[in-house]
Amino acid sequence: MPSSIRRKIAEELTGAALPFVAFCIALNLTAGQLTAALKIPLYLDSIGTILVAVLVGPWSAVLCGSAANLLAAAFGNPTMMFFIPVVAVIGAFTGVLARLGWFRKWYLVCLGGIAQGVLAALVSAPISAYLFSGVMMAGTDFLVLYFRSMGNTLMDSVLYQGLASDPADKLVSYVIVFLLVKNLPQRLLARLHGAENLRPPERTQ
Amino acid sequence: MTPRIDISVKLAVVLLLWVCAFAFSWMYQALLCLVVIAVRFTIPAFRPQSQRSARAFSRFLLYSAAVAFLVLLLNSLLIRGGTSYGTILGFALYEEGLLFGLRTASRLLLLTYAVLLFFISSPLKDLIRFLQTRGLSPSFTLILLLTLHFLDHLPARIHQIFLAQQARGAPVDAGVLARSRALLSLLSPLVLSSIVESIDRGTALELRGFLNRRTNCEASIPSGEGWNFLTILILILSMVILILTIFRWLPG
Amino acid sequence: MAARIELNSLTLRYAMASTPAVSGLSCTIPQGSCVGVVGPTGAGKTTLLHSLAGILGKHHPELMVSGNVSIGDESFGGISREILFPRVGLVLQDPSVQISGVRDTVFEEVLFTLENVGAVGDDSDSRIQLILRQLGIEHLAHRKPTSLSGGETQRVALATILVARPEVLLLDEPISALDATAQARLRSILLHLRGTTTVLVTDTQIDFPLSVCDRILALDHGRAVVFAEPQQLLSNDQSLPMIGGWQRWRDIARELEGRSDSSHRDTTRILKAIHLA
Repeated sequence: MPSSIRRKIAEELTGAALPFVAFCIALNLTAGQLTAALKIPLYLDSIGTILVAVLVGPWSAVLCGSAANLLAAAFGNPTMMFFIPVVAVIGAFTGVLARLGWFRKWYLVCLGGIAQGVLAALVSAPISAYLFSGVMMAGTDFLVLYFRSMGNTLMDSVLYQGLASDPADKLVSYVIVFLLVKNLPQRLLARLHGAENLRPPERTQ
Repeated sequence: MTPRIDISVKLAVVLLLWVCAFAFSWMYQALLCLVVIAVRFTIPAFRPQSQRSARAFSRFLLYSAAVAFLVLLLNSLLIRGGTSYGTILGFALYEEGLLFGLRTASRLLLLTYAVLLFFISSPLKDLIRFLQTRGLSPSFTLILLLTLHFLDHLPARIHQIFLAQQARGAPVDAGVLARSRALLSLLSPLVLSSIVESIDRGTALELRGFLNRRTNCEASIPSGEGWNFLTILILILSMVILILTIFRWLPG
Repeated sequence: MAARIELNSLTLRYAMASTPAVSGLSCTIPQGSCVGVVGPTGAGKTTLLHSLAGILGKHHPELMVSGNVSIGDESFGGISREILFPRVGLVLQDPSVQISGVRDTVFEEVLFTLENVGAVGDDSDSRIQLILRQLGIEHLAHRKPTSLSGGETQRVALATILVARPEVLLLDEPISALDATAQARLRSILLHLRGTTTVLVTDTQIDFPLSVCDRILALDHGRAVVFAEPQQLLSNDQSLPMIGGWQRWRDIARELEGRSDSSHRDTTRILKAIHLA
């Protein structure tokens, strides 16, 4: 790993960030328990990654998402391994948006969520199409089937399915994280590297 | 005591199977899938490490069988080319689609079975220790191990917060919108308490000198002393297959 | 080898705070001694400990500091901006967070500290066994660290710090979650450390520090009210209501003085004996 990347990761991973990233990886893997208890049709399997991206940094978010998928594979769902590039992109992109201050304003959060969803669909389409033929044993498989029956290629069908569902899913996750972090006390956030992402910019005279 | 195979050998086997998943035809891929399943039941070092792993394997077999069937069926119906092999509910099944489905399904199964076999037969902590000997940084190691610790405690904590919020009158049984708002009232204390706990744990780690740690390895684990001979052999075999496959693909 | 601690007009103020957390603190803590830092909540006890350990300076770069701290021969020109472990070891108020959660046994948990400070060697095993024996937890060596009682967890947390042989040991309200037996055990551990380690113990009540400390530093709103030996403290005419339990012990001391012809020194010995019985 190039030393510049190592340095950036080391900057992000302060003492408090280490357990927080571990917690967010665990949250990615157990968030389904919450949504199942509330019977809400949401996945929230990237919520930990987005939290880390906003509160710690993009490199830590890549680590968080990748580790969560790796552990999911280890716990009996090996298909998750193949989507590591997707979650890595989610983490990196969200981290960059957070650095640019997009998590300070609700309308930028919404825009960012939609953009993230489009990006996730673009990255996951080739994986889903080539390895899985678009079959993920989820409700969205019917969308793929529909697009294919309209005469579209497999790749296009999977891409259209992703574009139809991912932006909405990521928008919801972004909004949830925005609502979670916007009222967190600054004295707590100060111990995490990404505190600057949420602090309002200082006005210049 | 179950005989153990070095983790590096198992990883090399996974890599070999992955190379085969892209190099061989669907018939050999399907055969290798059956070999993987047979290995799980016959070779002690590849047996599941726990009941949970064994259940995960069985569950995934059923799931993957369903996925494979759907992949075959959908492609046979939607890719219309070559001979028709009959009809299902008035929809024709085509040769080209069936072959494409067979290739996709067998490749997917082999890729996933290889990964699953590795993980069910290798305790995660052993894998993390192996990675440590190969240079995984202390921080990454700590994150992975702490995640396993949190995974043990987080479900109970979530349940506790759920009960507490329910007792406060959070609308956990109301309509979808109300339940979605309840989600925030569950996540908020969870995230806040996790940040507070992370700060305390992080401070404690710093107070024990963790961030100044120089060595990657645990004292009880020697640093990597080179590669196992069997690992090298399997890696060479993978390389040979890969190179031959590339030559086969090249035009002319 | 224990280190001397010198505080010279130390004042610490957090940014945005109207009053300092610690104000004009000056005292010398002799090497190898045990000092009890007592005072009500918000008196500045934890702030003082964290400043000595280096956490405060590291995590609050905006902290306003005047005065100086010296530990041993090293003067910091203010306070240290880096964590001073293994020279200075701090056991937090909640010892359970001090357990890393990444090791399977108490033995490995203590070894984790030696790995962090690069002190793993041929003598590591014996060093750890010695610490566990001294703390009376050698029978817990193969237990999971997260499955222990409050008192056991605290002693394991103490072991993880003591194994690094710090010159200074800081304990933040160590008895708050301990029963009488565990408190007695901690007392004997601290008495055993006398001479080899400089110890600071904080508490809101004076009972425990009275029974184990050579000196008591009483803080109130960040200021030192008194820094004296226990017998001087108890025979002090000054009213010290901010020290929890002071009045009670003062009354006992006066009662015993009234009944006995012996000196103040004997009074303290009697008090310690009562406490230990």
